[in-house]
Amino acid sequence: MTANKLTLQNIFRGFLFLAAMLSLAQTLVAQDTGMVNLHFIHEANGKGLVLHDSVYTNRAGETYSIKKLQYYLGHFRIGGTGSMPEGDAYFLVKQPYVEEAKPLELKLPAGTYTSLGFTLGIDSIDHCSGAQSGALDPINNMFWTWNSGYVIFKMEGNSPSSPSDLGRIEHHIGGYKAGEDVAQTIIMNASKENPIRVLKGRVTDIFIRVNLDAYWDGIQQIRISENPLCMSPGPLAQKIAANFPAMFSLADIKNPK
Amino acid sequence: MKARVILLLCVTVMSGALWMGATVPDLGYPLPPDPLPLQVPAGWPKPLPQVFAKNKPTEQGFQLGKKLFYDQRLSKNGQVSCANCHQQFAAFATFDHDLSHGLNDVLGKRNAPALMNLAWMPNLHWDGGINHLEVQPLHPLTAPDEMGESLDSIILKIKSDTSYTKMFRAAFGDAQINTQRMLRALTQFTGHLVSANSKYDKVQRGEASFTEYEKRGYELYKANCAACHPEPLFTDNSFRNNGLSLNRFHDIGRQAITGKPSDSLAFKVPTLRNVQMSYPYMHDGRFYSLYHVIDHYRSGIDTTQPTLDPQLKNRIQMTTKQRNELVYFLYTLTDSSFIKNPRFSPGNAVLVPGPDMHKAGMK
Ligand code: HEC
Ligand code: HEC
Repeated sequence: MTANKLTLQNIFRGFLFLAAMLSLAQTLVAQDTGMVNLHFIHEANGKGLVLHDSVYTNRAGETYSIKKLQYYLGHFRIGGTGSMPEGDAYFLVKQPYVEEAKPLELKLPAGTYTSLGFTLGIDSIDHCSGAQSGALDPINNMFWTWNSGYVIFKMEGNSPSSPSDLGRIEHHIGGYKAGEDVAQTIIMNASKENPIRVLKGRVTDIFIRVNLDAYWDGIQQIRISENPLCMSPGPLAQKIAANFPAMFSLADIKNPK
Repeated sequence: MKARVILLLCVTVMSGALWMGATVPDLGYPLPPDPLPLQVPAGWPKPLPQVFAKNKPTEQGFQLGKKLFYDQRLSKNGQVSCANCHQQFAAFATFDHDLSHGLNDVLGKRNAPALMNLAWMPNLHWDGGINHLEVQPLHPLTAPDEMGESLDSIILKIKSDTSYTKMFRAAFGDAQINTQRMLRALTQFTGHLVSANSKYDKVQRGEASFTEYEKRGYELYKANCAACHPEPLFTDNSFRNNGLSLNRFHDIGRQAITGKPSDSLAFKVPTLRNVQMSYPYMHDGRFYSLYHVIDHYRSGIDTTQPTLDPQLKNRIQMTTKQRNELVYFLYTLTDSSFIKNPRFSPGNAVLVPGPDMHKAGMK
């Protein structure tokens, strides 16, 4: 350890630090922000999703129930401006079992916006640069340990149509390498009459409907009898992921009065 | 708004002052942990930048990683540590076991590879399924046939042990314990397992010389093996099919990761360093001696396999005398200073005073 010296390095550090502080203060003063709470409402057959107990049907008449539903969202964008909210880059959205669903909280610059967008998935760089923390902590059980990479969407359930052991449905959708990428960009437009308004220091509630009917019958038809399991990256995972965008829509926007 | 900005400024100025003060111990500010940069042996390529990109090794982090590596409590039944399968005297392979033994002696499907020079290895495991050294431990920690524990329980166990709390603080500046820090500490240990002091290395440095046998073996190595096992790492870390038959577990190797039929039966080329100590050999430990290995290259290669590496389609022509000379050369790759290095041994994972302990006068 070198002793107390006013080295060039220290002076440089000081300057860097001052510059960083100034720019921080500037952005804080210049930008008024409000809170946006995103509420995800999972539905199937027009009913709210209840884990374990309720039975739903896809268009092929296959009945199923769901035990687990969770997925990663990130890169939120609003109004086509591309501006990003502050804070964590990714969120893990989970359908709760008995506990109350917690909204996902974003801090956004005040303004009026006509659309809300995000990525369902995780950037490839975050798949391959080592151990992550926060929402991406592998403790969340959304990481393949034998073939490094995140499961970006996990759905587990049961169906009499599943030929798998105990009628299991296990869809672990992931893949980030070229030719295996499953991440989807999702943009939802608000109506002209009721755009998203973010007011300084206020809360806007946005309700997002996530419709599982489109999971089975979107651009692609996914059949439980044929594909009860999807446990690795590849063509099947990509086929299922192609249905993600159609699942999401804006159900309601409650702007602050 | 204004008040908050001012508050924020104050906090930032203060933390900035602390940060700058980090190099000024006589003011009583905490010391940072001691940097432990990876020593790159002379003549070696640079280690992969991504390995320690966000995880600069420190002595404190290395010691914590070592403690974790040797800690059997990380497993479900408290009996299996990383070191059960990666034994130092066997160059961190499992001594004399074709397949690894995990929880309750459940047999795995693959041979535990020797661990060394991992900071030069872009993909880990025989099939290259692991894309970063930091995430590698997730597999053995949670796999039912290895340590079989959940990450939740592991973190709970570590948190409830005060000796860990101290070591996490020493390594990372505060006592927060999470999977990322645990994995980074393990990486600081495994990434530092560098073997570069064998007789071969001493010959390269002009500190020793080969015997006649070894010299001829070296020439045979350069002519027949170096294409896939090149110096100085004795592997190019590529995935190739060296003509082994499909085993009883139907292990197709690399194809399971890439999905490409052309990768069928391709496995990662292992290093030849310390190969004398790391028997049995190959991904399923099917050969018990180096003589068997070379005999495989001479006469055992299945030349009908469509994915066989083209360099092996005529097998390797070598007399029995030459085979023996080659084995003598391979023995020169044994690095006893690595296998016996007390830095890597259990029992003396020491708590090196870190930031808070200096402050508390614990040195
Ligand atoms: C039950 C035995 C067992 C235990 C316990 C175990 N390993 Fe391994 N290790 C293996 C086997 C087998 C492989 C090869 C896996 C494969 O290729 O599928 C391996 C591979 C590795 C590799 C990759 C080496 C290479 O050349 O690709 C590293 C690094 C490693 N282990 C570190 C660890 C660490 C760290 C721990 C403790 C958290 C650990 N191992 C616990 C058996 C074990
Ligand atoms: C075409 C590339 C290639 C050539 C040439 C080659 N090897 Fe290999 N070697 C491999 C691959 C790939 C493996 C791993 C195979 C497996 O486990 O499925 C391997 C494994 C080994 C192993 C096992 C090491 C361990 O830790 O299990 C030894 C020893 C070995 N080779 C020695 C040699 C020798 C000696 C030569 C020269 C006579 C040679 N190899 C030539 C590709 C090659």
